[in-house]
Amino acid sequence: MDALLQQTAISLRLHYRNKMALLYSYLFPLVFLLAFYVLYRDESLVLARHMGELLTVGILGGACFGLPTTMVSERERGVWRRYRLAPVSTAGLVTSTVVARYTILVSAGLLQLAAALALGMPFPRHPAQLLAAFTFVSFAFIGLGLVMAMMADNVPAVQALGQCIFLPMLIIGGIAVPLASLPDWAQHVSAFFPGRYAVQAVQACVIGAGLASVRFDLLALTIIGAAGCVAGAMMFRWDAQQRFAARGHTGWILVPLAAWVTVGALAELSHRAGTTASDRTLARDARADRSLPAATGQPAPTARPPAAVPREILPMTPTAPPSETPRASPSLRSPAAPSGDTAPRPQAPSGGVRLQPDGRGTAPARGDEPVGRGRAAGAEPAPRPAPPPAVPQPIAPTWQRVARSDIDRDLTFERLPSDQGIVAPIAPADEEPPPDVIQQLDAITAALPHWPPARVPDAVQRARNMLYVAAVPDVLQTELERFAPAVVFEQLQHDIPKDDLIKVLYWIALHPMDGDDTAIEQLPALGFESRAVDVEQTRERVALYAVKLLGRLLGAIRAR
Amino acid sequence: MPSGERKVVVRDLHKHYGDVHAARGVSFEILDGEIFGLLGPNGSGKTTTLECIIGLREPDGGAIEVCGVDARRHPQDVKQKIGAALQTTSLQDKITPREALTLFGSFYRRKSAAGDMLERFALGPKADAPFDTLSGGQRQRLALALAFVNRPELVFLDEPTTGLDPQSRRDLHAEVVRMKQDGHTVLLTTHYIEEAEHLCDRIGVIDHGRIIATGTPRELIARSTARQSVSLTTTPALRAEDVAPVTGVEDVVWEGDRVRFTTAEATRSVASLMTVIEARGVSITELQVRKATLEDVFIELTGSALRD
Repeated sequence: MDALLQQTAISLRLHYRNKMALLYSYLFPLVFLLAFYVLYRDESLVLARHMGELLTVGILGGACFGLPTTMVSERERGVWRRYRLAPVSTAGLVTSTVVARYTILVSAGLLQLAAALALGMPFPRHPAQLLAAFTFVSFAFIGLGLVMAMMADNVPAVQALGQCIFLPMLIIGGIAVPLASLPDWAQHVSAFFPGRYAVQAVQACVIGAGLASVRFDLLALTIIGAAGCVAGAMMFRWDAQQRFAARGHTGWILVPLAAWVTVGALAELSHRAGTTASDRTLARDARADRSLPAATGQPAPTARPPAAVPREILPMTPTAPPSETPRASPSLRSPAAPSGDTAPRPQAPSGGVRLQPDGRGTAPARGDEPVGRGRAAGAEPAPRPAPPPAVPQPIAPTWQRVARSDIDRDLTFERLPSDQGIVAPIAPADEEPPPDVIQQLDAITAALPHWPPARVPDAVQRARNMLYVAAVPDVLQTELERFAPAVVFEQLQHDIPKDDLIKVLYWIALHPMDGDDTAIEQLPALGFESRAVDVEQTRERVALYAVKLLGRLLGAIRAR
Repeated sequence: MPSGERKVVVRDLHKHYGDVHAARGVSFEILDGEIFGLLGPNGSGKTTTLECIIGLREPDGGAIEVCGVDARRHPQDVKQKIGAALQTTSLQDKITPREALTLFGSFYRRKSAAGDMLERFALGPKADAPFDTLSGGQRQRLALALAFVNRPELVFLDEPTTGLDPQSRRDLHAEVVRMKQDGHTVLLTTHYIEEAEHLCDRIGVIDHGRIIATGTPRELIARSTARQSVSLTTTPALRAEDVAPVTGVEDVVWEGDRVRFTTAEATRSVASLMTVIEARGVSITELQVRKATLEDVFIELTGSALRD
C-alpha cells in the first residue's frame, strides 16, 4: 500500500515538474473552453450546453495522449526495467499510473469547470453525478490509453496512434461536431466510438436529468473501458526491447475492438445510433449560434423563467402580493431575467398563451421579444407594446381556489403553438399511428394507470407526472411525441374530475417550475428509453400541454 | 569469507532469443560471502544469465535457486532478498536521488533510510537534484544505492564499471571491496580481466552461452596449460641457430636484438639458455620470464582475446 501511494505521489510530482505535461493537461482544456467562450461570449448558456464536449476533449487528450506518452517514454528509457528489478507488480505499476492520471484529469476538469462557472455558466444540476459520469468517461478513455501505450513501441508511435483515434472521434465521433450536423452514415459510425457516450453522460449531469437518463451511455463507457484495461494488462510489457509485434500478444487488440463493435451494435439494435434529441438540440443551437450569436435559442437550464408559455403566462405575477403566493416558483420570483438567452427555440412558434392582465387588454406582459422570434418564419405579429402598469392581481393561494375568472384573466388560447408544429405537437384524432407506435401506445395505456407517479395523492403532482409522459417524447422528438398526448389526456380526464382537472391544469400552466420532476426518471417503467432530457425544457412542454388540454376542456380549442 | 552455504545455484540454464541460443546450459554456484565474477566477451551470455537469475527474463529451461528460493517460481520473493545494478540505470529526468531511494525503499519489506544511503554512497550534495543533472559516476552510485536500499543478502552488478571514467571505476572497485569486507555476497559480470582478477574470489568464464571454467584466479592459471614466455636481449645478439637447440623452445620471434619464445618448462629452458650464452660468451642485457596470466588462460579457453 505504501508502495502504491509512493508511486502515485511520485507520478504526480513528476507530472507537475514537467512543464510540457502541465501545458497539455491544464492549459489545453482551458484554451478550448476560452476559445469557445470568446466565440459565443454573449451566451452564458452555450458553456452549459457544451460542457459535455469540453470536458470530454480534456479527458480524451489526457487519457489518449498524456497517459500513453508518459508510459511509453518511461518504458523506452528503461525506467520500468529498473522498477522490475524491485518486487513491483504489473498491477501496482499500472494502478499507480492510472490513479495518478485520473487525479490529473479530475483536477483539470475541476479547473475547466471553475473557469466556466467564473465565465457565467450556471452550476451543474447534478454535481455529484457529474463526478461519477466524469469517472466513467475517464475509465473508458484511460482503458483506451493503456491499449495505445502497449501498442506503441515509441513516443512518435503514440502521437501517430493518438491522432488516428483523436481526430476521427472529434469529427465524426460526436465530440467536436454535433451529431445532428453529421450525415446519417457518420451518426451510425459514431455509435461505435466512445466519444458520443462520453459527451451525453457528462451533459446529462450538467443540464439534463442526471445519470439515470444515460444508463446506456454508462454501460457503453464501462464496456469500452473494461475491454481496454483487460487488453492493456494482457499486452503489458516492461521493456522497450519487447516489441509489440514480436510478442505474440497482439491478439488481445481484438478485445477493445470487439467492445467498440459490441457497443455500436447494441446502439444500432436499440435504435440509439441515429440522432438523439439532445444532439438535435445541440445542432440546432449550433445553427442558431451561427446565424445569430446572441442567442442559442435555448431556455435557461437553471432558475430562470422558462421559455414559451410560462414566459408569457407569468410576467404579471410579481405584482401579486408574496403572501398570497405561498408556493411561488423560482420563475415567479425572477421574472425579469434577460430575454436573449431565454428565448424559445428559433423554430418554436411563440407560445400562444398570453396573459391578459387585469382581464382587459391583450397586451403581452413583456415588451422584450424573445430573440428567436424574429426568425420564426416571418409569420409572427409585430412587436407588442410594453406591459401596462401593473395592477395587483390576486392569484389563487391554492389550486382548489382557482376560479374561472382567474383562467379567463390569465390565459389565452389563441396563440398556442400549432398542434402540427415542432413544439408540443398533437396528432389529429383520426390519424393512424405507425404500427410500432401503436404497440408503444398500447403499452403506455395499459401501464399508465398503475405507474406509481400517476398514483401520487397530490392531484397537481399526479397531473404533472402524467404530462411528463407527453412532454418527454416531445423534447426527445421521438415518433411517439404526436400520439402520447392523447393517451395522457384521456387518462387525466379519467383520473381527475373535470372541474378539478381544469384548476389543476391552470395551476400547472402558471407554476411550470414547481413540483417534483423525478417522475421523468421513472419513464422507463412505461417502456420509454432512458435518455437525457433537458428538465427545464420538459417542464415547459408540460405547461404547454396543460394549456392545450385545458383549452380543449373549456371548449376554447377544438380538438380535431 | 565464504562460509560454504550456497547463495545461488544455477543448473542447466537455457535461453533463446529467436534463433539465438544465448544460454546453452549454464551451471554454476555462488557461496555465501564470496565475490563471484562472470567473465566473458560481449555476447557470451553473461548478461542473459544474470537477467534470468534476477527475474528480468524468463528462462526457457533450467533451475535457479537464490537464497534457498526457487527463483523461477517465486521471483518476487527473490527480489525482496537481492539488490541489482544494471549496466545503465535510467530513472525519470526529474526524480531526485532522495525521492528515488524513498520510492524504491517502499517496494521492500526491509529497507534502509534514504538519508543513510545518500550518505553511504556520497550523494548527499546531490540528494535533491534532478536525475538528469547527475554525472555518470553519480548515476552509477545512485544505482548502487538503489541496489542496497533493501539491505540485500545478495547483490548483482552487471558490468558495473563499463563506461565509467578511471576515478569512478576506482571508486566502484573500492565499493565492491567494501561489500566483501561487510560480508556481502556479490555476483558481478565483467569483460575486464584485471577487474575480475582484482575483485573476485572466484570466476566463471563464460563463452557462447556456456560456463567453460570456474575457480579462483590462481586455480584457473595453475590449471591452465598456457605456456610461459621468455624474452632475452644480449650483446652481441644471439643467432637463430644458437636458440634452436634450447630445451622446450617454441614460437620463436625476433624483434631486432631481442628474441622471444614460449615454453612449457620455463626453468629447464632458462637453464639450457644459460649454457648457450655462456658458450657463446655474450652478455645479457635483459632477461624476462613471464608466467601465464588470466588473459592467457582466457585466450586458451575461448580462443579469442577480450577487448575493452
